[in-house]
Amino acid sequence: MAVRILPRSPLLRYLAVRLALIVPTVLILVTVVFFFMRVVGDPITAALGGRLSPDQLAARRTAAGFDRPILNQYLEYLGRLLHGDFGTALTDRRQISEVLVTNGAATLELTFWALIVAFAVGVPLGRLAARYRDRIGDVSIRVFAILVYAAPVFFLGLLLKLLFSSTLGWLPASGRAAPAVALELQHVTPRTNIMIVDAILYGDTGYVFDVLRHAIMPALALGLLTAGVFIRLIRINLLETMRTDYVMAARARGVSEAKVVRKHAFRNALVPIVTVMGMQIAMMLGGAILTETTFEWQGLGYMLTHYLLARDFVAVQGIVTAIAVVVAVTSFLIDIINALVDPRVRY
Amino acid sequence: MKTRTTRLGLAVAAIAVTALTLAACGSGRTSTPAASKSGGGSIIVGTTDKVTTLDPAGSYDNGSFHVQTQVFSFLMSFEPGGAVLAPDAAKSCSFTSDVVYTCILKDGLKFANGNPLTAASVKYSFERQLKINDPNGPASLLANLGSVAVVNPTTVAFTLTAANDQTFPQVLASPVGPIVDEASFPADKLLDDNAIVTAKATSGPYTIASYNKNTLVEFKPYAGYQGVQGSVQNAGVTLKYYADSNNLKLDIASAAIDIATRSLSPTDIESLGKTKGVKVVTGPGGEIRYVVFNLNTMPGDNADQKLAIRKAFALLVDRSELSTQVYKGTYTPLYSYVPEGLPGAAKPFSDLYGTKPDLAAATKALSDAGVSTPVTLHLQYNPDHYGSSSDQEYNAVKRQLEASGLFKIELQATEWVTYAKERSADAYPAYQLGWFPDFSDADNYLTPFFDKDNFLHSHFENADISALLESERTDGNPTTRAATIQKIQTELASKYIPTVPLLQGAQVAVAVDAVSGVEKTLNASFQFRYSVLSKG
Repeated sequence: MAVRILPRSPLLRYLAVRLALIVPTVLILVTVVFFFMRVVGDPITAALGGRLSPDQLAARRTAAGFDRPILNQYLEYLGRLLHGDFGTALTDRRQISEVLVTNGAATLELTFWALIVAFAVGVPLGRLAARYRDRIGDVSIRVFAILVYAAPVFFLGLLLKLLFSSTLGWLPASGRAAPAVALELQHVTPRTNIMIVDAILYGDTGYVFDVLRHAIMPALALGLLTAGVFIRLIRINLLETMRTDYVMAARARGVSEAKVVRKHAFRNALVPIVTVMGMQIAMMLGGAILTETTFEWQGLGYMLTHYLLARDFVAVQGIVTAIAVVVAVTSFLIDIINALVDPRVRY
Repeated sequence: MKTRTTRLGLAVAAIAVTALTLAACGSGRTSTPAASKSGGGSIIVGTTDKVTTLDPAGSYDNGSFHVQTQVFSFLMSFEPGGAVLAPDAAKSCSFTSDVVYTCILKDGLKFANGNPLTAASVKYSFERQLKINDPNGPASLLANLGSVAVVNPTTVAFTLTAANDQTFPQVLASPVGPIVDEASFPADKLLDDNAIVTAKATSGPYTIASYNKNTLVEFKPYAGYQGVQGSVQNAGVTLKYYADSNNLKLDIASAAIDIATRSLSPTDIESLGKTKGVKVVTGPGGEIRYVVFNLNTMPGDNADQKLAIRKAFALLVDRSELSTQVYKGTYTPLYSYVPEGLPGAAKPFSDLYGTKPDLAAATKALSDAGVSTPVTLHLQYNPDHYGSSSDQEYNAVKRQLEASGLFKIELQATEWVTYAKERSADAYPAYQLGWFPDFSDADNYLTPFFDKDNFLHSHFENADISALLESERTDGNPTTRAATIQKIQTELASKYIPTVPLLQGAQVAVAVDAVSGVEKTLNASFQFRYSVLSKG
C-alpha cells in the first residue's frame, strides 16, 4: 500500500512543495558562500599580512584551524548550523546570533520605514498615473518612477545627503540617532534595538523626533527605489483592469470614473502586485546593504560589508544564511497569499 | 473639479512635506535635543577604526589599542604632550642585571572593581599573553621574554632571553603591555568584551560606562588612576564608530561630533581646513610608506645591476610631488628608514640621492652597471588597504620614472588578501607596503625589516647589518645607540637599498574650535589619549 506523503488537498500539496523547496535553496546558498569565502582569503592575512612573515602568518592560520581539510570544516559548520549555532565572528568575537538579533533589528526598522515610503509614494502615484493616462501627469510620474528605479541606491543616498545635510543642514548625515540619544536608549528595558520603539519606550518626545529625523533619508533612499517599481506595476495593472468588461459595465451603469477606479478596478489590480511586492521586499534587503553603509545604519547589510572586507567567513556565512532564510520564508508567505487570492494560480 | 483621487494624492503629498519639515525643524539643528545631558566638558570622538577585542591578548590592531590605551594601565607609558617613556603603574623600571628588567609598582593601585593591582597581576597579564598566543594577538612582541617573577607584592622581574634589550621598556607600553585583573580574566582564553566592561577589570584613566561594540562607547574618568597621564581634563568621552570616512567628515563639519580621528582622506582634510568652526591639528606620525624590492625577482642580471636599478629608482622618485599633489601635505617626504622625530633618525636618502629627481646621476648609475634602458619594472600596489589615494600615488610614481626615459613601469593593483600572500611568494618584483610601529622606537623600523628572518621576505639578509642591529638593541647608552642607528640607515641607503622609503604620515585630527588639547596627544608616542582633551 503506497504511503501518502503529500496532503490530499491540491492547495496544501502546492504549499507543502513550496515549503520543502526552502531547504535545498538555503543549503545551496550556504554551500556556495562557504566555499567561495574560503577562496577569497582569511581574516588573519587580511589583518596582519603587511606586518608578519609568511611563516608567522602560516603558524597563526594553523592555530586558528584554517588549514584543516575543507570538507571537515564544511561538515562541522553544517552540523552546528542545524543546531542553530551560527558561530562566533573571527574578527570581533561577536556571537553571530547576537549580530543577527541586534543588527537584524536595525535592518528590520529600515525596511519598515522604506516600505512606508514605497507604499505612500508608489501606490497613490501609480493610481494617478493610470487615472491620467498619457497626459502630462502620467508622463511626469512615469519619468519620476524610472529615475528613482534606475538610480543606484547609494547615489540617491549621496544626493539626499548633499542636499538635506551638507547644503541645507536640515537632517543628520548618518546614524540612527544622535550619540547622546543612542547612549541613553542603550539603557532602555526591555531593549528592542529598534530605535523608534526604544525611543517611545524611553518616553522622551525629543528622542522620538531625533530618531525619526535620522530615518528620513535612509528610508527615502531605499523606499523610493521600490516606489518606482510599485508606480509602474500599479499603473499597468490598473489600466488593464479598467479595460475589463465588468469595469465597462460599471461605466455603462453611470458609475463615476473616480468610483470606477477606486471601488471596481483598483482592488482587483492589486492582486498580481502581491507577488511582486514579496520579491521587492527581498530585493530591499539587498538594497539595504548599500543604504546602510551610506548612512551608517548598523544593520545586517552594514555588518556584512564590514565582515566581507575583513574576510570573516564565519560572520558572512551566518548573515547570508539568515538573509536567505528570510527571503525564502517571505517568498513562501507571498505564495500562500497568492494562491489564496489569485484564482489564476494553478495548483 | 478635483476628483477624490487627486485630493487624496495631494493630501498624501502635503502630509509628507509637512512631516519632513516638522522633523527637520524638530530641534532646529542637527544636534540632539539631549546633547546637554552628556554634561559640560564631555567630548564626542569619531573614528573609522574598529575594535577586534578589548582583551589585550586577542588584538594587535589600531582600533583595539585606541580603546585599550584609555582604559588599561601599563607598567610604562608616555608622558602627556610628548613621547618620553615614563613609569605608569610602575614607580620605577630598570635593568637590574643584563637580562633582568625589574619594575617596582606604585602603592595602593586598584582596578576599577576594587581588586588590588599587584605584581601578581602583572605576572599574570604577561604569562597569559604567552599562554593564549591568540592568532590575532600581539604575543610575538614578547619574543625576547623568558619569564616573569614576583619578587614581592609590588616588585616584578622580567628575565629576558637576550641581554640589555633596549626595546623592552617600549614593549611594556605597546599593545602587549596592558595590565589585567587576574580575578576577572581567564588565564587560558580570551574574555568577552561585555564581560570585561561588566567586571570593571581595568585600571586606566577611564572606565567604560557603556559599550556597544564598534557602534558607541562611553568612557568615564576613573578616580583611582595614578599613572603618568595624571588627572583627566574632561568629564568623559563618547567614541562613535563610522564605516565611511565621508560620514565622519560630514559629522565633524556640522559639529555633530567634537573630534574626528583616523581616518579622513587627504581631500577631506584639505576641505575641513577651510571649514568654519573646526580646526585641523597635525602631529608627527609613525606611519611610513615605502617600496620593497624582491632581490630575486626584480630586473637585473646580477647584484650590481639590481643595486643600480634601485639607486636609479631612489634618484628619480619625487617625494615632494607625492606629498603635495596626492596627499595634500598629510604625508611628508621620507628620506630614511626611520621616520623623523625618533632618536637616531637621519636622512641618508636626501644626503646621497638628493630631494629632486636627478636624471644625470640615475643615467650614470645604470650605465656604469651595464643596465640597458628603459628598464622594465613590474610595480605592484594595493588600492584598498592603504587608502584610496594609493592609486593616485603609484600612478604618479610611474609617471615620474617613465618621464626620465630610463624606466618602463608595468603598474598593477591587487586586492589586499591576495596581495599579502603573493608579495611573500615572490610574485612581485617591486611592491608597495606601509608600516605602523608597534612601539615608538627606531628599532621597530629596522629589525622587523632588515634582520634575519624579517617579515619582508624579500631575500635581503646581511650579516653586517644584523650585527649592527644587535649592537643597537643592546646598547644602554642613548648617544652611542643613536649613532649606531644612524650608521645602519646610512649603510642600508648607500650599499643595499633593500627598500626605498617614500612618505611619512602625519597624525591628523580635526576638532571643533571649542575643544583643546588635541595637539598634546598628536606626538611621537603615536597614542591618541583622551585624558588631555578638554571642551568649553
